[in-house]
Amino acid sequence: MSKRVPSLGQPPLTAAVFHILLALADGPLHGYAIMQAVEASADMRMGPGTIYGSLERMEDAGLVRELTTLADDRRRVFGLQPAGRRALEAEAHRLTRLAALVRAKRLITGER
Amino acid sequence: MRRESTSQVIYRILLYLYPHEFRGRFAADLEADVAELLQARGTMAMWVRVLPDLCRSVPIAHARARAARKRERATAYHGETAMGSLKADVRHAVRALVKAPVFTAVTVVTLAFGIGANSAIFSLVNAVLLRPPGYVEPERLMLLYEGFRGTAVNKIGMSPPDFIDLTALQRSFSSVGAYRTQQYELSGAGEPEQIIGVRLSASVFPTLGVRAAHGRTFLESEDQPGEDVAVLSYGLWQRRYGSDPNVLGRIITLDRRPYTIVGIMPAWFQFPKRGPQINGEPAQVWTPLALGPFERSQQARGMMYSLTVIGRLRGDAGAPQAIREADGLGPTLVRNYPPFLQGPVNSLMVTAVPLIAEITGQVQRPLLILLGAVGLVLLVVCANVANLVLSRAVTRQREISVRAALGAGRRRLLQMLLMEGLLLTAAGGALGLFIGNAVVRAVPELITLSLPGVQDVRLDVRVVLFTFALSALTAIVFGVLPLVVSERRDLTDLLREGGARSIGGARQHRLQSMLVVSSVALAVVLLASAGLLMRSFTKLMAVDTGIRAPRVLTMQVRLPQASYDGALAVRSFYQGLHERVRAIPSVRAASIQTDLPLKGDGERRAFTADQPIDASAATASAAVTWTFGDYFRTFGVPIVKGRGFLPEEELENRGMAIVSRALAERYWPAQDPIGKRFKWGIAANRAPWQTIVGVVGDVVDGKLGEPPIMHIYVPFAEAVDPALAVPMAGLVRRMTVAAVTDREVAALVDPMRAAIAVLDPALAVAEVTTIAQVMADASAPQRFSTVLLVAFASGALLLAAIGLYGMLAFGVARRTREIGVRLALGATRREVLGLVVRQGMTLTLVGVGVGIAGALAATRLMRGLLYEIQPFDPVTFVSVPGILAVVALLACYLPARRAARVEPMAALRAE
Repeated sequence: MSKRVPSLGQPPLTAAVFHILLALADGPLHGYAIMQAVEASADMRMGPGTIYGSLERMEDAGLVRELTTLADDRRRVFGLQPAGRRALEAEAHRLTRLAALVRAKRLITGER
Repeated sequence: MRRESTSQVIYRILLYLYPHEFRGRFAADLEADVAELLQARGTMAMWVRVLPDLCRSVPIAHARARAARKRERATAYHGETAMGSLKADVRHAVRALVKAPVFTAVTVVTLAFGIGANSAIFSLVNAVLLRPPGYVEPERLMLLYEGFRGTAVNKIGMSPPDFIDLTALQRSFSSVGAYRTQQYELSGAGEPEQIIGVRLSASVFPTLGVRAAHGRTFLESEDQPGEDVAVLSYGLWQRRYGSDPNVLGRIITLDRRPYTIVGIMPAWFQFPKRGPQINGEPAQVWTPLALGPFERSQQARGMMYSLTVIGRLRGDAGAPQAIREADGLGPTLVRNYPPFLQGPVNSLMVTAVPLIAEITGQVQRPLLILLGAVGLVLLVVCANVANLVLSRAVTRQREISVRAALGAGRRRLLQMLLMEGLLLTAAGGALGLFIGNAVVRAVPELITLSLPGVQDVRLDVRVVLFTFALSALTAIVFGVLPLVVSERRDLTDLLREGGARSIGGARQHRLQSMLVVSSVALAVVLLASAGLLMRSFTKLMAVDTGIRAPRVLTMQVRLPQASYDGALAVRSFYQGLHERVRAIPSVRAASIQTDLPLKGDGERRAFTADQPIDASAATASAAVTWTFGDYFRTFGVPIVKGRGFLPEEELENRGMAIVSRALAERYWPAQDPIGKRFKWGIAANRAPWQTIVGVVGDVVDGKLGEPPIMHIYVPFAEAVDPALAVPMAGLVRRMTVAAVTDREVAALVDPMRAAIAVLDPALAVAEVTTIAQVMADASAPQRFSTVLLVAFASGALLLAAIGLYGMLAFGVARRTREIGVRLALGATRREVLGLVVRQGMTLTLVGVGVGIAGALAATRLMRGLLYEIQPFDPVTFVSVPGILAVVALLACYLPARRAARVEPMAALRAE
């Protein structure tokens, strides 16, 4: 478990980590909002336990940080850390390269 | 706020699946999210999302929490935390203890002695008395016996027809079964051997409430002749079949007959348990009782009183009800006997005894006394450890006050002393475990074999922990006591005054005196008990057994019915065996007999004398030994009147018998018993008269120290035909062969085995032993408890002496200055010596006084264990205080001498 922590931010990211980072890219969010954002962006259903579990581990890896909450003090709000943003960018690059590769091979039908 | 839905409550409960760190942080968020999910998507959708989520995230959260805890521990150990100072404490305590090697050694050994002895004895007691036999509700099981009211034959087995009647008549038991021990020759693959088996009715296993570990127990339909099935003990299964699971359905050859194996009992299962005098040997194989037509018939009435009946109390019935019912059954059973037998058996009775009482009854008292003794030992140990630790605290006052002055908090000092106490106890405990294990191992096999319920005695973890905790508590409480009772002010005062005064001096002195007095008193109690047992044992060893057989080797053979079905085969085997053994060059005399002297496992038979002094006592019971060969010469039993058997009397039945002196004196006191007659059974019996041709000395039969039992010796030839006529009798099939050699006894083993093998190579030989061994075995239980109690008492004596010595020595060390002043002011060295000795002896005398009072009370409990010694035995009660006084004097003298040698000037300068 602890061995996986440092590699959590290394590409390729797991789907959960990637989508949570993606959700937080626009600004800090609380758990439920992350859940909704992930559902919208990835059509992926995540439960609250998985979200908070992932957030904890991402916190350990220095990708995100819990913020002292401003408005609704009953919810924990998480924000992206610089390392998290770098990890997201690296992964985005990787995906872009992959997408380019996919395009070059003309695997996506309906695209010319 | 909105009302909570059921789903939310359930989810909140489910949250407890997470590790508490996770729950503590996120519970509110999780609940809020779920509430929102519920509101937005509905109950179904919420659960569809949340249940898989729980399954995924719970294990992950636990793994993370575990890893975090591990990291925390690792860092805490190296960091400058509370743990760090603990480590420093351990290091410091080790150093402090090493610097005081005598104190450390004495304390550790004392603790080890107490912990070891207690763990061992309690484990033994636990195994025998407290550990339940493993049957279902064993306290509701009872054993039923028959007997003849008002006679010595008051507890015998049950006759098969009586058992059948009783099964129908009784109302107290929900189920009853009967069993009897049966030796089997086990052959087939491997060496043939004799094993103990039990034949039991199919109802016995259900009555006990046990099932087979593999396969099954017996069916009701298998409880009849011809159904040769067997259930194996776990041990036999392991030993002979290597725990082969496919053994079920295979054949086991018992007494040269094939039996189908139908079940294996669990490893813990032992039946019967040791304890009962009849049918009390744990079996390795069980076969159906299978009463045959003869045993069920009227002909079997008044015969074969050999079954033990076991019953389980009916739901609403208690033991008293069963005992009452059994008591009333005798006359009812008698009415079913044929008329000519009803008179003779009219005193027939049935007794019911709780199984547990039957198992533990005989050994309960000696074991409880041992337990009491080790309990006292533990008290002495605690008193001593307290004393040692207190004394040490005194010598360390200065060190402690320096530490206090340098800013060590009271808490810190406490922690330090605590650590020392713990280390001491840990060392003592470790050594104690070692000792305990050694004692448990030293429990002679014979003891474990003769004790009921003991298959293997192991150290009981709970006991070890208990004694360990008690000693630790003592060491710690008395170690920190001086610190706790003293005020902080005292600590600095002490430093100022140069450590001459003790912390709470007078109080501590009183406490130490009390501890010394109590350990002396406890030692007196133990010494007195041990002394009594020792004196009793000496007397027991001096008992004349009636035999002189220093060089006799014996072994046992059993002739299986399948190969020796008739009297001719049996007889010619024994004749041949006797000839061959007699022909071994070093053999002086040899005999074959049904039982050995001192063992007390021979047959008992009723007989009627021809001219009874007292007609009502005409019929009595005597031990009967069937002999072939030179029995009296082999065992060195003197013929006091008449003669031994002639060779021709051995071979054919001429109605001759030899009786013991006790029997002759009881029936023909003032007459010559030679030529007098008796017959087997009752007067009305149509048995022929037997003529007495000789009288021999009494031989101890069974327990040492009990009055001799009347004994009748009959030539073996007379027994063969009638004995073999009764199907269930194993009597003449199992015989021991004995031979006297003029050389090394052990050298006789091989020639004798060879003599047997020549006659029947497949025959198993058992119980190869010497008579010297049989004699040693007969006294083994007494030797065991005597040796142990003496060891405990000596230990207690030593501890009391150490306690006394320690207290005085520390006192002298503390008062060096005072002694120096006294000497400087003109006190003589003699006076100083007397001062210290007087102080010690006063405490000793008080302790002895208290101890004797205690011993008088305690030894009364031992009355039943003593042989020809009164509990108030003057020899013991004079010598014990004597021994103690001598030891105490020595313990006082050594420190007193040191006090007397104090150089006044040096002592004064030293401060």
